[in-house]
Amino acid sequence: MAKPKAKVDETKCLACGGCISVCPQDALSMCGGKAYVTANKCISCAICIKTCPVGAIGEEGC
Amino acid sequence: MEYDVVIVGSGPAGSVTARFAAEAGAKVLVIERRREVGVPVLCGEGISRKIDKWHMLEGTRWIAGRMDGARIYSPDRTCVTLSAERAGNETGYVVYRDIFDQELARLAMKAGAKFMMNTKATGLIKDKEKIKGVKAKHFDDDFEIKADIVVGADGVESKVGQWAGIDTTLKPKDLETCCQYTLSNIDCKDAYCDFYLGREIAPGGYVWVFPKGKDVANVGIGILASLSESGLAKKLLDRFIEKDPRLKNAEPLRFLAGAVPVSNPVETVRDNFILIGDAARHVDPITGGGLTHCLEGGKIAGETIGRAIKEQNFSKGLLNTYEEGWKNAFGQKIERNYIVKEIMLDMDDKTFNMIAHSLKDIKFDEISTLGLVKEVAKRHPTLMVKLLPLLKYRKKFKEMKSK
Repeated sequence: MAKPKAKVDETKCLACGGCISVCPQDALSMCGGKAYVTANKCISCAICIKTCPVGAIGEEGC
Repeated sequence: MEYDVVIVGSGPAGSVTARFAAEAGAKVLVIERRREVGVPVLCGEGISRKIDKWHMLEGTRWIAGRMDGARIYSPDRTCVTLSAERAGNETGYVVYRDIFDQELARLAMKAGAKFMMNTKATGLIKDKEKIKGVKAKHFDDDFEIKADIVVGADGVESKVGQWAGIDTTLKPKDLETCCQYTLSNIDCKDAYCDFYLGREIAPGGYVWVFPKGKDVANVGIGILASLSESGLAKKLLDRFIEKDPRLKNAEPLRFLAGAVPVSNPVETVRDNFILIGDAARHVDPITGGGLTHCLEGGKIAGETIGRAIKEQNFSKGLLNTYEEGWKNAFGQKIERNYIVKEIMLDMDDKTFNMIAHSLKDIKFDEISTLGLVKEVAKRHPTLMVKLLPLLKYRKKFKEMKSK
């Protein structure tokens, strides 16, 4: 089974942009004032998950 | 829609560039995806007082507090003080970043620059490889802004640089992930910016307490993304606040997150293109401070754009005046401090404590990271081995200069 992709919890995201700047696949962008993961670009490396200062990014399905 | 210059982002770098380009006669448009300049604030709000001599801001509404100095606490809470009476000159302000940004934008508008809010850049207009402007979206309307020069001032999460072919992706070891409370009901006895170091306190970064008046302060944390776990920055900050007796009765007025590039700068010019501010990684890798670079770099960018418009020459060759300008103004400092950052990352808490012990009674002539590094080198010859990369850099730099 494929590893789960990153997913942003929009209620927690404070739009600092850190995850976007470290994503090695350019899979994250700001959309409507929140970080947004383009799922088909995400390689499940979890760098964004670790980077988020407030824990707003998790794995899809969690 | 047609302009000489379109600037993506209305932060300090974007607005200062807009102002100086407009003053030099360029027709300037700034687009901003947010609905208000400077909001939300994503910043610790400290800035060096050297901005005074640049006269880029009017009035004092943007000043929250004038600082008498800074105190750096090692992991065992040994304090190294950099005070105003000792330093004599350069300390700092704590500012209201929303007002600060709006003042810079207002002065750009006064110079003739146009601003569009709620307007997101979605791509670049290109003719083969040549950059011809910006594709944008304003509410539901997609439209194109043609321009001879595009400026990327879109902050740490910059996309515009990537679109222009500049790799701005940061490694986790080159990003500080941050969050901050503005706390009221606290006791700031004196106007000092406090910094707390230590692996347990803030791995690869520090906790700061910046007073904004007698009973309000910004209390924040930055940790290195490579040493971070999901939500760790907030957890460590909450732990710090809980343990600090000064903050016992604190109540939050604001909570925010932030991200600060602490990398080497990237290339900043292409034909018809300029990158500035956090997007260009113009941040001191030790302190995480970038505001002065935005002002200094923005002025150089704006003046360079003015010249390009006058000569109708938008080539990388001419725009390189900007790259040379910022390298002279602060580029070498960033490169040097990046090396120091790497060295500091290797040091354990014991070493920090030892250094702090030997520095605690020194009168510093200047409040600068360079001054601190020089003292450390003088007092701890054994640490000189670690500082070797710095000496190599100095040698390389001197050779470059003599050429």
